[in-house]
Amino acid sequence: MNRTTRLSPMMRCLIVLVTLSPCPLVILSPSRAEESFAQICDKVNPKLVKLFGAGGFRGLQSYGTGIIVSPDGYILTINSHILNTQDLRVHLADGTHYHAKVVAMEPELDVALVKVGDNKLKVEDLPYFDVVEAAKRPPVEPGTGVLAFSNQFQIATRDEPMSVQRGVIASYSKLYGRIGIFEATYKGDVYVIDAITNNPGAAGGALTTRKGELLGLIGKELRNELTNTWINYAIPISARITVMQADDKEATVSILDIVEKKEKYKPLLPSKKNEGPGVYTGIILVADPVERTPPYIEDVVPGSPADKARLRPDDLIVYVDGVLVGDIHTFHEVLSRYHPNQTVKLEIQRDRKLQTVTLTLEKPKPKKPAAKK
Amino acid sequence: MLLLFPKRLSWLWVGLLPALFLIARPAHGDGLDPRILKMEEERIKVIQAVQPSVVAVLTGGGSGVLISEDGYALTNFHVTEAARGPVMKCGLPDGKVYDAVLVGLDKVGDVALIKLLPKKPGDKFPYAKLGDSDKLQAGDWSLAMGNPFLLANDFTPTVTYGLVSGVHRYQYPEGTLLEYTDCIQIDTSINPGNSGGPLFNMQGELIGINGRGSFEKRGRVNSGVGYAISINQIKNFLPQLKAGMDTDHASLGFRLETDDEEGGLVKLLVRQIIPSDAMRRGVDVDDQLVAFAGQRLRSVNQFKNLLGLYPKGWRLPIVYRRVNEKKQTETHETLVRLMGVQRQELSQPGQPQPGPGPRPGPRPGPGRPPIIDSPASKLYKAKDGFANYYFNELEQKRLLEAFRKHGDFRKATGDWALRTTGTLYAGVGPRGKRVVADFTIRSKGAKDRQNDLVQAIVDGLDYSLEPLSDEEKPATRRDPPDSGGLLMALFQYRQLLVHGEKGFVTSFSHGGVEPFYPPREGQSKPDYAKLRVDAEVLRTRHAGVDGKWYFSKKNDETAGQLLGFEIWIDRDEDPCEVYLFDYKDVDGGGQLPHRLEIHFGDKVYANLIVNAWKKEENR
Repeated sequence: MNRTTRLSPMMRCLIVLVTLSPCPLVILSPSRAEESFAQICDKVNPKLVKLFGAGGFRGLQSYGTGIIVSPDGYILTINSHILNTQDLRVHLADGTHYHAKVVAMEPELDVALVKVGDNKLKVEDLPYFDVVEAAKRPPVEPGTGVLAFSNQFQIATRDEPMSVQRGVIASYSKLYGRIGIFEATYKGDVYVIDAITNNPGAAGGALTTRKGELLGLIGKELRNELTNTWINYAIPISARITVMQADDKEATVSILDIVEKKEKYKPLLPSKKNEGPGVYTGIILVADPVERTPPYIEDVVPGSPADKARLRPDDLIVYVDGVLVGDIHTFHEVLSRYHPNQTVKLEIQRDRKLQTVTLTLEKPKPKKPAAKK
Repeated sequence: MLLLFPKRLSWLWVGLLPALFLIARPAHGDGLDPRILKMEEERIKVIQAVQPSVVAVLTGGGSGVLISEDGYALTNFHVTEAARGPVMKCGLPDGKVYDAVLVGLDKVGDVALIKLLPKKPGDKFPYAKLGDSDKLQAGDWSLAMGNPFLLANDFTPTVTYGLVSGVHRYQYPEGTLLEYTDCIQIDTSINPGNSGGPLFNMQGELIGINGRGSFEKRGRVNSGVGYAISINQIKNFLPQLKAGMDTDHASLGFRLETDDEEGGLVKLLVRQIIPSDAMRRGVDVDDQLVAFAGQRLRSVNQFKNLLGLYPKGWRLPIVYRRVNEKKQTETHETLVRLMGVQRQELSQPGQPQPGPGPRPGPRPGPGRPPIIDSPASKLYKAKDGFANYYFNELEQKRLLEAFRKHGDFRKATGDWALRTTGTLYAGVGPRGKRVVADFTIRSKGAKDRQNDLVQAIVDGLDYSLEPLSDEEKPATRRDPPDSGGLLMALFQYRQLLVHGEKGFVTSFSHGGVEPFYPPREGQSKPDYAKLRVDAEVLRTRHAGVDGKWYFSKKNDETAGQLLGFEIWIDRDEDPCEVYLFDYKDVDGGGQLPHRLEIHFGDKVYANLIVNAWKKEENR
């Protein structure tokens, strides 16, 4: 066997075979690929790092993966709970370890930039992924064969190589995912992969072509909002999203911005509490004499969004767009982040059953509504 | 991480099994790259070639693979454990059900060796060729075969195809002991029921035994992360498994901690050490362990991987480093005997031994009653410390036959004597001193003797030992001084030559294969990798003394020749090591060694040239 065999473009192409199954089955091509994949693994692996940080309790893993994006130690990863620590550690592929600091986070894109090395402890000449190059590439088509590299399940430490998996891009589409009751923050385009890549600790790993070219960052463990099944996805390096800011101006943000601006990057935040214009629902809640009164509906203003959504007195509001609202205070706070004309999904308890209703929010009324039903 | 046990299958799963499609050919090959068609053809050929060797372990519910034409097959310990008895039923892709019996166990490594019984004596089984798992690389393709979800009623195995995701992986113990060291990580789909089945490379060579997966939130089905026990690890244990042993893995007797500076590489430092061979070899707290078994150490996982490859009792080289009082760094290399890891080994002497101990990991399998009435039952013999002593007896018999080809001394039941001249090093220094040493082993019954007696004159000093007497002083049992008990060793040697298995009252068993390091004369700094020979081992206990005997397993005329032996006067001390060289014909037929090199601890006791062996037959 010749370990230096190169694959011709023909061999990289994918062949769709119609089999016994009614749906077409994609079979992956390269023949002497075993050697080549091993070489690609050797090439890609030094550009990945193992991250160790916060977690380790209540099913939250304390480890993750990152990709090196500059020779002096900038590392791109998924913005996750493991970064919430003063003691973030990085194991490089050669087995050396470093403390790392988070230099930028972008919650809307769900990515973060981390740095190892400083003036005292210089890091240089690291092998890295050229994200500028990667961001220029157009998204690959569904059906393209891919490789996924990550430290899922913390199988590797120190100089042990990442786990590699192979799969096929199943689709390129918008992400509708959630983590438990929380909606996923990132709602842009993703690569959906047919292999089980998004395991614990895989977030921040590299999705590459079968030649080892960077396509995206492997995402978190999410379930599909509709089917409740696990999604295996990666955020494309070319990802670019639009965020509505506090001043109602739209701003776009991309992975490239973060990597290029480094420490200077300021995350784009959507309008927050006290910054937004406020919204009107027509819900009148029960009196709030004690702290942590549950948000029971006392009454509903006729003709209001609440009335249109057929909310009734005695309904208990449990979730606002998947966020648990345990008390009236939280309900108001959560709602203050919304804009007029946005729709909001409430889950309410009525007759001991959970129901979902959708409200379209309106502008706040200048005066208090006079009439009660 | 969990073991792969089948639950009752649901037919809904069938549609999800991509494996079924992999063997389907395209209806039309038109327009396809001919190389792809060729690759597919080759893959199908490999699958067809190896398929007949894949076993469905029906009792217990798992998979296995045949590795020899006489029916030896590998599977997981947790599969045989679920069979709840030493006999089981297995299905082969020929559609037939075979009786099988448990042969050997590696509970820590989750491996079991079983033997299928042929339908007619002499019938040969198809079997898989063992590959070299150290040649695997992440990114290589692999084939997993077996019986996931117990799908195949005709025992035709399911095939799945995928990547090797990582090699030399370490997976922490499931339960108390059962750990996967140096295993192969695959994205090749393995599911409950694949346990014990083979992982093949694309040349159709057996490279691993599938056994575990990383399962968390998604339930007990393929998560894209499966693990196979590497075949190279199994090769180290295979001779012990074939000898019906309940094998054990190893520890070095110390606890390591990592110490590293930011930006640097890891250092493994000894933090605690218990009385062990490592301690006797001079390893101390704060020493840095640099290499083990010929490999430089880079991480804790890597060290655990290496350690997991070897059975208890093996002797392997370690390199450790120490900063001495003068702030100089000393580097030492030495051989260390590995301790066991299972409970009985770790308990303090004097304390009551726990029973068989908590069994590692797995839960019971599908509740089928153990099979009792089986022709395989005739191939089973229970004994403490063994999975199946029947197979140990077979191996003993085979080895003793080979040993006696070099000389059958069963009739020489009288007194034995050997006259030697040589160099004594003990108490003299490295240059040694030329001495005469004569030894006589007097047998009970000969010349109306009441007890066995060993006498010696070494360098003009007289020694005498009654090896079977309870009243013998501990120091006498270790005579001559600094030999570790050469008189006792020679007594035991005569026992083996004259009485064979009957010469060892307490125990006598085959111990598989272990590395042995016959010293080279005049070599001050031994190269252990070069000295190492793999030898078949007998383990004995007689007269309160443990013995370990090393036999050549070379495929030549020396096969079965005794290369040397070790006699432990006390299990917690170093043994007297006797290395045997220069086999020559002796009067009355057969060959005996004519040079003996005796070591004790780190020192050479003596190097003796035998001028004459004398042995008498009893009247």
